Amino acid sequence: MQQYIAKRILLNIPVILLVVTVVFLVSHFRTDFAEQRAAQGFIGGMEFEQAVASIREELGTDKPLIEQYGRYLLDTARGDFGTSLVSQKPVVEEFRNRLGTSVELGILQILVGLVISIPIGVISAVRQDTWLDYILRFFAVLGLAVPSFYMATLLVLFGFNWFGWGPPTTTYRSFFENPSLNLQAMAVPALAGGFGMGAVIMRLLRSQLLEVLRQDYIRTAWAKGLRERAVIARHAMKNALIPVFTIVGLLVGTLFGGNVILESMFSLPGVAQFVVVSFKQNDLPMVQGIVLLVGIVLVMANIVVDISYAWLDPRIRYR
Amino acid sequence: MATEAAVFEQEWVLPHRPAWWVTARRLAVRKPLGTFGLVVIVLLVVAAVGAPVLARYDPQQTFQRPDPNYAPGVFNPQALGPTMLDRTAEPSTAHWFGTDSSGRDTWSWVIWGARRSLGIGVGALAISIATGTLVGVVSAYFGGRVDMLLQRLMDALQVFPALLLLILIATYMEANIRNLILALGIVGISQVSRIVRGTVLSLREMPYVEAARVLGASDLRTMVHHILPNTAAPIIVVFTIGLGSVIIAEAGLSFLGLAPPGISWGQMLNEGRNFIRTSPWQAVFSGLAITLAVLAFNLAGDALRDILDPRLRT
Repeated sequence: MQQYIAKRILLNIPVILLVVTVVFLVSHFRTDFAEQRAAQGFIGGMEFEQAVASIREELGTDKPLIEQYGRYLLDTARGDFGTSLVSQKPVVEEFRNRLGTSVELGILQILVGLVISIPIGVISAVRQDTWLDYILRFFAVLGLAVPSFYMATLLVLFGFNWFGWGPPTTTYRSFFENPSLNLQAMAVPALAGGFGMGAVIMRLLRSQLLEVLRQDYIRTAWAKGLRERAVIARHAMKNALIPVFTIVGLLVGTLFGGNVILESMFSLPGVAQFVVVSFKQNDLPMVQGIVLLVGIVLVMANIVVDISYAWLDPRIRYR
Repeated sequence: MATEAAVFEQEWVLPHRPAWWVTARRLAVRKPLGTFGLVVIVLLVVAAVGAPVLARYDPQQTFQRPDPNYAPGVFNPQALGPTMLDRTAEPSTAHWFGTDSSGRDTWSWVIWGARRSLGIGVGALAISIATGTLVGVVSAYFGGRVDMLLQRLMDALQVFPALLLLILIATYMEANIRNLILALGIVGISQVSRIVRGTVLSLREMPYVEAARVLGASDLRTMVHHILPNTAAPIIVVFTIGLGSVIIAEAGLSFLGLAPPGISWGQMLNEGRNFIRTSPWQAVFSGLAITLAVLAFNLAGDALRDILDPRLRT
């Protein structure tokens, strides 16, 4: 196991390096458009040319590319992801301040996704090729096609028409300040994001369960005279759920991508929304720093997922 | 080509090829969902190509309706003329999907939106597929260090959520449609390369590829003439399913107002959201258009995969 962990980590070191390089190349290869746009926002009494020059100096883009790359790698290794042009605060600090909201939304979405998909996936697999299975599968396919922002729009519409309820329009409160208001604000994006995720999990769980249900040990369980509930819940689910947990880990990135829209739609002050805000403010180091941070966090999440997968299913280690 | 000759000689025993509608009916029975997807795709293409004819109105035209508060000769600051802007109207025979907040016809926007979505989708996938196939073929064919490096690069690209990478690219590019297509194309490369690589890895071990190499074919010739043609099936599948994801990504960017403005479903949905309670038509229909398009490409892609390349089934 230690060997497996070491191998996973070593294999991902070049990926992290390449993640840094990809972000560097995109954000340093051709910067004139971005700088000019940024200069228009921060002109503050300066001539335009002067503003561009000062931004170039602040970003270090007036130096040769190789030198910039070296500096970029060093800064990243030291945990310095740049400083905002707008608030003049370090990117890491702004990131940390907004992380809680994004993590909370993500957890709620995963919960919604699991609560919807596990029972539906099980029913669909156990009653394979019945009309119930077809209907549930159709909804899963539909769930994959509906963009989360459309789902959220419809939820707001139906919430208003049927229950006279809408997401709160007051300023955002964190869960610890005001749990009720917080959960009301989170409700629609959590459901909308959770549906899409649930559709993916349901399809995977169904196919996994179908495979497991055909195995010998399941036939043995039936032969022992166990009830259906015991066969499914105690014997089949244990093995069918392993890949599901992996996919949940891998979907965290997708979830975050979708939350760029959902957080913006519902003004949740999370990391994902802040990317959009920073983009609109032309806060170049902020956009670039957050994307890099998220990228690195996701690589690490992938390592954790790989390792826990190997821990749950020892066969993986020897592949 | 012994097999070809044999088939040719046998042809007199075989019944002649079924008429197209027999094939179509068989497809509809065996793959009902895939057929549904295919029909919707055909409709989308028709809408995109025939937008000027099918749209009924110029999408930028604003409509007027009689103002009930207007009375000739009476000064009323709320009603200065006999007509007012026909804003957020309900669906009617004149406006099948109603009108938007500026009094423009929603049906025309939905139709013209298909042109933008499909145009951007096809353009972006052309880039993804050209680059992704190159990376995938080279990576799998040469293996070893080349493979290692290219695959880690693809890993690195795939780590980023698509929307985040798109925003990063958009920050540093001039905002226009061409760059939007380029950015969407770059984001799709890793997915394509992975599937092509998988296919080539299995093709590489085929006896006929070995035969080509034994006959002295160069690496380039083997790749282009012997391996590449056999990656067509998975590429068609990736193209179809990929169009769905590009349409969602484009709609998402337009929805956030980060894509260059134009007649876009995402932008319509965002505008329609502002008056969803009083007049949900614009939001509902534009979102429906996105959903239907993505659903169609997903369903058609699934069916194509079953037909063309059952190995890819997940």
